[in-house]
Amino acid sequence: MLKQFLRFMLLLGMTQSALADLPIDKPGRIETLPVPYPNDWVIVHDVAFDHMSVGRFMVLDINGGDIKDFFKGSFNGGFIAAFTQALKKPEMYVLEHYYDRGTRGNRTDVLTIYDRATLEPVDEIILDDPKLKRAEILVSKFVISLIDDERFLLFYSFTPGTFVTVIDLEKREVVNGVPLPTCAGIYPTGKRGFSSLCGNGSMVSFQLDEDGQVTEQGKIEPFFDVDRDALFERPAIIGDTGYFPSFSGAVQEIDLSGAAASLGEQWSLLNDEDREQNWRPGGAWLAATDSTGRLYVMMHENGEEGSHDYPGSEIWVFDPDSKTRVQRIPLTLPAIAFDITMGDAPKIVTTNIEMSLEVYDARSGEHLNTIADFYHNWPLLVYASQ
Amino acid sequence: MNWLDNLTEKFSRNVARTSSRRGFLCGLGGVIAGGSIMPLLPVARAADAEQPGPPTVDPGDPATYEYWRNCAIDGYLCSCCGGTINSCPPGTEMSTITWIGTCKNPGDGKDYIISYNDCCGKTSCGNCFCNRNEGDRPTYRPHTSNDYNWCLGTESTAYHCTVNLILGVAIK
Repeated sequence: MLKQFLRFMLLLGMTQSALADLPIDKPGRIETLPVPYPNDWVIVHDVAFDHMSVGRFMVLDINGGDIKDFFKGSFNGGFIAAFTQALKKPEMYVLEHYYDRGTRGNRTDVLTIYDRATLEPVDEIILDDPKLKRAEILVSKFVISLIDDERFLLFYSFTPGTFVTVIDLEKREVVNGVPLPTCAGIYPTGKRGFSSLCGNGSMVSFQLDEDGQVTEQGKIEPFFDVDRDALFERPAIIGDTGYFPSFSGAVQEIDLSGAAASLGEQWSLLNDEDREQNWRPGGAWLAATDSTGRLYVMMHENGEEGSHDYPGSEIWVFDPDSKTRVQRIPLTLPAIAFDITMGDAPKIVTTNIEMSLEVYDARSGEHLNTIADFYHNWPLLVYASQ
Repeated sequence: MNWLDNLTEKFSRNVARTSSRRGFLCGLGGVIAGGSIMPLLPVARAADAEQPGPPTVDPGDPATYEYWRNCAIDGYLCSCCGGTINSCPPGTEMSTITWIGTCKNPGDGKDYIISYNDCCGKTSCGNCFCNRNEGDRPTYRPHTSNDYNWCLGTESTAYHCTVNLILGVAIK
């Protein structure tokens, strides 16, 4: 028995010595990401609803099978942060605030500028004007917008006075706070301006000069009834036209190409059969477009007063030129938000009611992938990488 | 039951009940009220208003989704967080600037104006999430929008839970 044991140990030692040693790992290696991101990468806002002081934005590959494949990196966003990204430079912007004792103490508001490749904060602009504190709205991408070839960043302030704060990204400073008459949303308009929807069913527009000061104002007098059939403030912007769905299933086109917004056509997402079944648009983020300019709207059946935030069971696709539905895409699970990737092979990425992501071919509607394993996170809003 | 099971169960139940929901996207957060050019919203005086007291008939369990005063709520019910239907949990601060809803009391058939006051200063309660949107409107009409963080005018914008106070009977 002893001989057998010694023979085994000798054999084991010979085997081990025959294998090459693993290379020594060097400490300090940090990954970076390719820029631009591939079309099939998305940025997903984990709003951290159960611990809002530190949310985050996750960079995900929607083709990934498990977490080591799909998770590419992340960056932080405090207290229901707002996010937007530049097209012409590798910058991403997070509007956030923090307290020096976590949920209490002195508050610091900041626009943090992240580098797309390293996901490191490369600059920040401190926002200390108390009347221009940002609105915290969980479900709006239009609380922050870039205009003027990405020179100015605008964000919506709610104190509860309503303002749009203007930041000059070249100077890295706040240059203006434009008061709004109880309006919200920032929809880029004309050469260097924006429009906002207002509580009385109107829309206001502003043009700015090179210093960010208001030079022109415009207004569309009240054109919809907020009580009877409100417009969602979450449109799809296709070219220079905003497509604003209404609670009941109409679409109001608004031309944003001029110095001031102007009304376009109004048409319906519904045919007679749809109305009979009471289909309505709804969800946390319910409208989007793709690189060919089709309009996608998330819909639910048996709608009623108060159902405008219900998850959608289908996404309907429309040709905005002919104003006709060209496709219905049933979802494997009802979804609360979605976006569509850019490029020649667009994909729909939904956040479903179980807080997982689903991926569909935007052309065929075929379900392609499920991205789960988010555990305690809230991957709520999906942003196509640009 | 783990968190995800809870979430799934919660949403499945709500889907079954209401054909589903957006869930989470509750009105939250907030900001210190700074100088404002806009008059305070109609319910900014909620803290000063003398509460009319509960209706003589007030059916239902305040800690449930179906309870009538919850018709436009969007957040965690303070009744499940150490508070009550009209009081905040210990150590939090009640926001005095709020959004409002109009809810029908099935007990007396009257429509009541409900002020939804957020309790603020601690991290999210996490219990009894409830989201109903009867009368809720988009963020361009703030005082009836539950998508904001209404921890406004409080020391901290950290959202914890929401109470619902009766402001009065709605006038037809």
